[in-house]
Amino acid sequence: MIQIKSLYFKYEDELVLNNINLNIEEGSYTAIIGANGSGKTTLAKHINALLLPTKGSVTVDSIDTKQDQFNVRKNVGFVFQNPEDQLVYSIVDEDLAFGLENLGTETKNMKKKVKEIMEDLKITYLAKKNVNMISAGQKQLTALAGILVMEPKYIVFDEPTTTLDNKNKANIMSIITKLNKKSKIGIILVTNLLSDIKYAENVIVMNNGEIIFNDKKLKLNKTILKKAGLDV
Amino acid sequence: MFKKLTLGQYTHKDSIIHKLDPRIKIIAVIALSALAFLMGSYYKFAIFSSFIFLLIILSRIHFSHLLRNIRPFFFIFLFILLMYIFFSRNELYQGVRTIWKFILFIIIASILTFTTTITNMVTAIETLLKPLKIININSKTIALLIALTIRFIPSLFLYVDRIKDARLARLGNLKKPRHIKLFFLPLLERVFKSASNLSDAMLSRNYTDKRITYFNAIKLKYYDYISFILLIIFIVFILVI
Repeated sequence: MIQIKSLYFKYEDELVLNNINLNIEEGSYTAIIGANGSGKTTLAKHINALLLPTKGSVTVDSIDTKQDQFNVRKNVGFVFQNPEDQLVYSIVDEDLAFGLENLGTETKNMKKKVKEIMEDLKITYLAKKNVNMISAGQKQLTALAGILVMEPKYIVFDEPTTTLDNKNKANIMSIITKLNKKSKIGIILVTNLLSDIKYAENVIVMNNGEIIFNDKKLKLNKTILKKAGLDV
Repeated sequence: MFKKLTLGQYTHKDSIIHKLDPRIKIIAVIALSALAFLMGSYYKFAIFSSFIFLLIILSRIHFSHLLRNIRPFFFIFLFILLMYIFFSRNELYQGVRTIWKFILFIIIASILTFTTTITNMVTAIETLLKPLKIININSKTIALLIALTIRFIPSLFLYVDRIKDARLARLGNLKKPRHIKLFFLPLLERVFKSASNLSDAMLSRNYTDKRITYFNAIKLKYYDYISFILLIIFIVFILVI
């Protein structure tokens, strides 16, 4: 379980997150929605220990992000908005192995895992392609595969469909849902689009660095969405 | 023009040069580049150029791809040539030779980048720079910096093209000094943002400079030793004739 207790985060004297309290269950599908500048990405980065709390605590399966970033990041994958900036190596299969190299996975096992994940996502044909030569949708799939191959228990998706066309967007959203339903991976989807939250069980609405709603999606109403500055 | 620059873009082919150990290829690039600088006479140049031509054939690289890498430097070559024409016409052949040396450098570097994946290059550089550990320099960090530079060269040119197009659409041209500022500021902003995002992405995948396992573990094979001996023989031959 991911537990966030009394989290405050200041950036250059500006309070970006204000007293966030939150529990995210293992295997759940949670959407964090809010307008631009509401603090949703900042909150998401705390879950992967990319940012550390100014005050309060974030724990992933009882591991405090301030104490052990390595194991927190091993459990929580992070898929960024722009896959272009997420791919480290030039060749697809080599990039997929980047995380495994950092985890110290043995070469033989690494090759097996990379092969399997490419088969699962149906991107084997991209294995030896240069990342600069593939489409935006293929780049996002590669970025996702690079995270999945590390076998995390939770994955944070930070507006993963922003750079994609409708077809690729539908594909990514369908894969995210499958990961949750079939592989029981906990999903935390950060978005500013209402259309993206249709598969989520729980919704967190953020406004000005605060949580103004945290409950089942069915309880979400127009008043809350308007308060968060979202188009209804 | 920039979209077609393919420096740092590995092309998967089944050739002997592709199969060579990346450490041998890096040593060969350094040695051949130094040799190109040292050469003086035309017949040595001809032999050396033929050798590079042979390497192109062996690596099965398309000439059109090589030309794409040379084309962006056309204006630099033209500038060098004009300088010789205007200020040192008697030594025009020196200018031609300098340009030819540059072209050879680009081809040699391109052969390496077209036939070697970034991971292999990183592993090779890490291994070759290991002795620097004595003076507290981490070879893994240096290797990764080089790999990232190569990985992001095409992205950088893509940003240049996008910003140039956006500015041209609104300004009509980029000839005034203030236009240069309007071009470079967003480019720098984009580059820094990209670097920051990449650093976050690497951290999120548990990046460490102490990694001990490799996706493409490298090991010297018999043809690596043969190639290395042939390279030494060629270098000695060029130096003594």
